Amino acid sequence: MTALSTAAGIGSTRTVGTAALRVEDLRILTGRGRYVDDLKFPGMLHAAFLRSPFAHARILSIDVSAALELPGVVGIFTGADMAARTTGIEPLVAPPGFRSEPVFGLAIDKVRLVGDPVAIVVADSRYIAEDACELIDIDYEQLEAIGTFEQALDPSGPKVFESLDSNIMLEMSNSYGEVDESFAEAELIVRRTFAQHRVAQVPMEGRGGVSHFDPESGNFVYYTGTQSPHSLKGYISQALGVPLEQTRVVNGDIGGAFGLKIATHREDVALCAASYWLGRPVKWIEDRNEHLLASGQAREERMELEAAVNRDGTILAMRGTMVLDQGAYPAVPFVGGGIVGLIATMMPGPYAFRGFAMSSQVVASNKCTYSAYRAPWAMETWARERMINVIAAELDLDPAAVRRKNFAANDGSVSMLSGATLLDNSCAQTLERVLELGEYDRLRTEQAAARAQGRCVGIGFATFIEGAPGPAAGRGLNEQSIARVEPDGQLSIFTTQAPNGQGHETTLAQIASDEMGIPIGNVKIYHGDTADTPYALIGTGGSRAATLASGSVLHSSRKLKANVLELAAEMLEANPSDLVIEDGLIHPIGVPTVHLTLAEVAARAYAEPADTSEPVLAEPTLTAEAAYDGGIGSWSAGTHFCHVEIDLQTGQVKILRYLVVEDCGRMINPAVVEGQVRGGVAQGVGEVLFEWSAYDDQANFLAGTFMDYLLPTASEVPRIDIEHLENEPNEEVFFRGVGEGGLLIAPAAITNAIEDALSPYGAQINDQYLPPAKILELAKVI
Amino acid sequence: MTTTPTTQSVQLTVNGVARSGETENRKTLVDFLRDDLELTGTHVGCEHGVCGACTILLDGEPVRSCLMLAVQANGRSLETIEGLGSPDDLSPLQQAFRESHGFQCGFCTPGFVMTTVALLRENPDPSEAEIRHCLSGNLCRCTGYQSIVEGVKSAALALQAGENR
Repeated sequence: MTALSTAAGIGSTRTVGTAALRVEDLRILTGRGRYVDDLKFPGMLHAAFLRSPFAHARILSIDVSAALELPGVVGIFTGADMAARTTGIEPLVAPPGFRSEPVFGLAIDKVRLVGDPVAIVVADSRYIAEDACELIDIDYEQLEAIGTFEQALDPSGPKVFESLDSNIMLEMSNSYGEVDESFAEAELIVRRTFAQHRVAQVPMEGRGGVSHFDPESGNFVYYTGTQSPHSLKGYISQALGVPLEQTRVVNGDIGGAFGLKIATHREDVALCAASYWLGRPVKWIEDRNEHLLASGQAREERMELEAAVNRDGTILAMRGTMVLDQGAYPAVPFVGGGIVGLIATMMPGPYAFRGFAMSSQVVASNKCTYSAYRAPWAMETWARERMINVIAAELDLDPAAVRRKNFAANDGSVSMLSGATLLDNSCAQTLERVLELGEYDRLRTEQAAARAQGRCVGIGFATFIEGAPGPAAGRGLNEQSIARVEPDGQLSIFTTQAPNGQGHETTLAQIASDEMGIPIGNVKIYHGDTADTPYALIGTGGSRAATLASGSVLHSSRKLKANVLELAAEMLEANPSDLVIEDGLIHPIGVPTVHLTLAEVAARAYAEPADTSEPVLAEPTLTAEAAYDGGIGSWSAGTHFCHVEIDLQTGQVKILRYLVVEDCGRMINPAVVEGQVRGGVAQGVGEVLFEWSAYDDQANFLAGTFMDYLLPTASEVPRIDIEHLENEPNEEVFFRGVGEGGLLIAPAAITNAIEDALSPYGAQINDQYLPPAKILELAKVI
Repeated sequence: MTTTPTTQSVQLTVNGVARSGETENRKTLVDFLRDDLELTGTHVGCEHGVCGACTILLDGEPVRSCLMLAVQANGRSLETIEGLGSPDDLSPLQQAFRESHGFQCGFCTPGFVMTTVALLRENPDPSEAEIRHCLSGNLCRCTGYQSIVEGVKSAALALQAGENR
């Protein structure tokens, strides 16, 4: 029996729309979380990777004999083992024409980046495994390395993959609407080249896993922290040749991911292979240096862009060329460079251009794999929102006026050039509101006064739409869930989401408990174990949870509720349509005194009642499944506003005010929404002012510690004020995703503010990375 | 060159309980806590003293347990996240962090919580600037820090209201 004894007021258990306290926090705040490094199994061994010190080199020989003699070393495997005993894995989702070679767990004939794993050493302890790495003797023949776009594109230069005739992995051209006509007609053509520097996801927990092969049963379990358990399971099974049905991937708590952990990594394959071959559980936990140099990086793109405009601020069209550096090995299953297609389709954003065209090249280099990072397509939003400010400056118009002039109607009469709906996006509304809240006009007046006093202050803002879940066309993947009433009346929900900080155990429970009419504490969310969750290629990613996973849970809970009511109706000799579930009690409408609990209904469904000879009913069951595809799709939207002051002595940028007006439809949990937005903005602050996965032009990595790769702290991230508009799309599921919008737009708002501040010095911001030295250079101080 | 590791016995007090173990001289304190004492609440985030995830209190002072050897803690008194409240009985500080939705993925959390314990013992009524300054030795990648700062503020109020524990 459930412990519900009082029937409180109608709907008193409803929590959607409230900042319900997170279920996860009870364990997280008490040190009881279960992250992958917390696991321990009898007989467990520890692995360390020996990695290449060179960006590009041929492996002439590897001698592991001295290392094998070290007491405590159990096994050492190299690329030769991988080549002989595993199958290379390849991207599952790559654009047509994408070129690659299969990817193996360890480098085979040559190394292609600093940090390329060359050997995996398995020992009784991590300390011994690292000792043994130092005893491995490798002869390398260094090759010329590729560290720049120009080197990658030089036909006479070295090749990352010698089976391919160039380092161009993908070429793509997209053209929509009237491009050439618009450029012929335009009163003015504005040109800029924008470059986004290489940064990284840097979750506080790096990668890692415990691979547990049991030779007796043949069962293979990989305990890890992945955004995508089912795709990882598929790749491990394929690479090792373990039957899929004997392969299982299990997540615990995950210490952040930000897109990095959607991939199957080469270390996953090597670690699982080592465990499989040794027949022992093996743990590998990435250290921070390995993480920074070899886990994944993102965002190295350069875009030459031109805009066809009229003097009244109308933007007729944009066109350009782009090159993206994918690093050496392609990400699996989602090729990082594949994002060029989305960049091209998304770039016109909420604006009504007549034409847009982009020609893109993805090149390979001797750097770390370009992988998904929160809003992977962000280059388009940054370049577009910068370009709009450049146009405004060129035409001596206010950047707000240029945006107003070009926003597309949101009444459904205008679609994006690529075909996606712009229905109901509230960009224009968010812009007006943020300017009002930010007191834009007053700040402009004050700015003039401040400049007269020699102060360097700037105001910037930028507007975005976030596919959440985005336009239906091309999205393709639905989201499944299973709902089950347990014998004790608790509700179990099985989701394909693999949460890594988003609080899905809370938000999905809010949805399910509201739908079922039971307290949130009576719902448990199961996730991250391929043995009991429905299949999904993605898992957590693409801001899919708010609309797709929530919609799926809403529908499975709703179906299950219908089954519960049908059973209860039989027990109460009532009509199901006359029954409700409120505060966990099933009763006829308006008659709460005659009631059943879910546990009583479960007893009827699962066990033959003791007091009658009636058998268990065949139907309906207390399990229901549903899938949700997001309907026609819709957008989250918003405008970020940033007010900065720059110290021209030190080059430091101080953010005086950061303001967000955003619209993600109805919020499931406002505290979770705000956490997502602020976290994204903080990453944007870091990206512009502090973070750089730096390589020299020979692809030597220069940012291997947290003293080189600088993350913003509580002293650098400003207070971020947020106002929500809650326009609800005209659909059954009104929640829209917010996971990516913060990082998508923050760099544009910040760089627009900095360019505004530095405009008296004639500064043009074309590179996104603006550390103090660069600021001083732009201000012509140095 | 690798040499045979030598070991020592270590005796210390952790969360008020006497603990001991035999450890390699080179073993870090955080590895000793996590592996030998099985106190996995303290996390390892960078192993070079920047991120603060491994922060514990050593004789009341916040320290990076990744930058100390276990043998250096011999005879000392340690406090870790496990010594605060439990899921059924959160401490006022933990409760304040929960109510402020302070954290997301939870990996940096133990370090922030222990840093805050030390801060509020020393300064029961910190200003926002003092809080942000104090927390600047801890990295969080999820939250943008604002919710953590709010949590510290409400924890300070709760502790001042006499819920000290």
